[in-house]
Amino acid sequence: MPRPRSINQNIIFQPLPNFRNLGVVLRLILWVNGLALLLAVFHAQSWLDIAAQMLNISTVLQPVLLGSLALLHWQQPQLQRLPYWLARLGVVLVVSMLAVLIANLGGYWLNIDQADFFNAQLIIISVTFTELVLGYFRLRERALSPAFSAARLQALQARIRPHFLFNTLNAVLGIVRTQPKRAEQALEDLADLFRMAMADAPELVPLSHELALARQYLDLETLRLGDRLRVKWQLENLPTDALIPPLILQPLLENAVYHGIEPMADGAEISIKIARIGKEIHLDVYNPRPQKTTHLGGNKIALANIRERLALQFDLEADYKVTARDDDYRVHIMIPYRREKLP
Amino acid sequence: MTVVELPLAVFIVDDELHARNRIKDLLIDCAEQLPLVLVGEAAHGREALAKLSEIAADVVLMDIRMPEMDGIELAQHLNKFHKPPVIIFTTAYDRYAINAFEQRAIDYLLKPIRLGRLFEALTRARAAVPIRNEVLQELTPEPRKNLAIHERGKIILVPIEQVLYLRAELKYITVRTVEHEYLIEESLIALEKEFAARFIRIHRNCLVAKNEIEGFEKIAETDSNEMHWAAKLKGLTELLPISRRQQFIVKEIG
Repeated sequence: MPRPRSINQNIIFQPLPNFRNLGVVLRLILWVNGLALLLAVFHAQSWLDIAAQMLNISTVLQPVLLGSLALLHWQQPQLQRLPYWLARLGVVLVVSMLAVLIANLGGYWLNIDQADFFNAQLIIISVTFTELVLGYFRLRERALSPAFSAARLQALQARIRPHFLFNTLNAVLGIVRTQPKRAEQALEDLADLFRMAMADAPELVPLSHELALARQYLDLETLRLGDRLRVKWQLENLPTDALIPPLILQPLLENAVYHGIEPMADGAEISIKIARIGKEIHLDVYNPRPQKTTHLGGNKIALANIRERLALQFDLEADYKVTARDDDYRVHIMIPYRREKLP
Repeated sequence: MTVVELPLAVFIVDDELHARNRIKDLLIDCAEQLPLVLVGEAAHGREALAKLSEIAADVVLMDIRMPEMDGIELAQHLNKFHKPPVIIFTTAYDRYAINAFEQRAIDYLLKPIRLGRLFEALTRARAAVPIRNEVLQELTPEPRKNLAIHERGKIILVPIEQVLYLRAELKYITVRTVEHEYLIEESLIALEKEFAARFIRIHRNCLVAKNEIEGFEKIAETDSNEMHWAAKLKGLTELLPISRRQQFIVKEIG
């Protein structure tokens, strides 16, 4: 039975690995070398021979591997645009041609006589290696994607708490008779926030969008909490054109309000620090923690969600850290500074 | 024959100003058909308790999640009043509490509050019976954070972490802190159950705070001259006798 085409137009994961991702590249190098080691063990006559065989394989394998990675890194945008089977064929062709080319050039320079059967063997090995590796990535993507869509659904529910929605609507109703203008604006902000949360979110959005959304969200919370909510923004060296995953900041703020502000009768201050340091964007959200907490748990889902989204989007390139001390709570996120959208 | 009813005295507790405003708007609408008067409002449980010990209310509309003291604890303290008010909880979203309310047929209002639902709840309020404290305790996994002491028409809140021991004496229970001694009218068994995390029973009539035990001493019983154990608590000079049945505590803790 043919598999139906994905309904979701914004497939975040191509089955084809992203050759521009550091984690992917590292994994490819490890995998291919692991396979080579297996081959060396298979060919070896004795234990000592394994090293010699490995060295023998490496003379062709390493240049082919690194060369292919460089080529694929360069051709990544073009590959992503092709249908999967064609892209897969392309990758296999690139690798096997490169293998033949490098082996023959090497043989020519080193004056080694190359037999035809050698080339055939080389092609078989490189095709097998490439297929195995691509197959691994495809399996991994299949394994991850149902989990991802489930996580995404959960994220939609968890990102904006029902608690916030209903309390905000209640507050808007509370001012609708006395301050109709303010009520109108609040409903508009609420609509924007939900439009973003319910959208089939793109992979990355400009930081300026996310900041505007965060401000709208905080305006709504201010309507509810009045001067109990105080916010300190520290934006340093900020590239507003930087791209970040959508709705990363808002759930952090929501947590900070829920756990740090609402339990305090006199309120408290949330501080938000965003800075670019070199090729990294650093986000810090800090809130005080009340001594006797009346809100139990609840933030785990939102935080686990963010962690998962960062891991799926940036793999090893992003960092996420939560520091919970007795009287304060800090979430730190580091993501690579990207300006141009990855195709 | 006509019965003249006093207007219903309503009190509002919610930590959000506009949520209180919303209820006030709706109360004005209700007042057209149901005689009522707003007697006061508070931003959290502690403030409400202080105000309600001076103003009488028939109905208290209260949020559940609030700083300082939440609605469930406030309701438990209000229940100890001579004439406890009828409590109607309001909540935006609290799956746990809502399930509990449904199961126990406790009246609650969902935010945003609808005029019709508020009107119904207020109409029923005159005939309503107070929610029992045991039921309220089941609504929350947490014990109260304070004991409310009624003294000369005033309410004093004693944080539970300051209480060293609770001792049953005839009708009352003595609540002992380092500096003071208070009397409350509650059951020792219920207190033992609610605050099991803090107190341990050392005698038929006495619960002591586990963490406040400084040591144990052997003392002679007054009538029989028999020696038996007693607990010494931090900051107190008096020794609290441990009953024979509870002697194992000396080994466990000492």
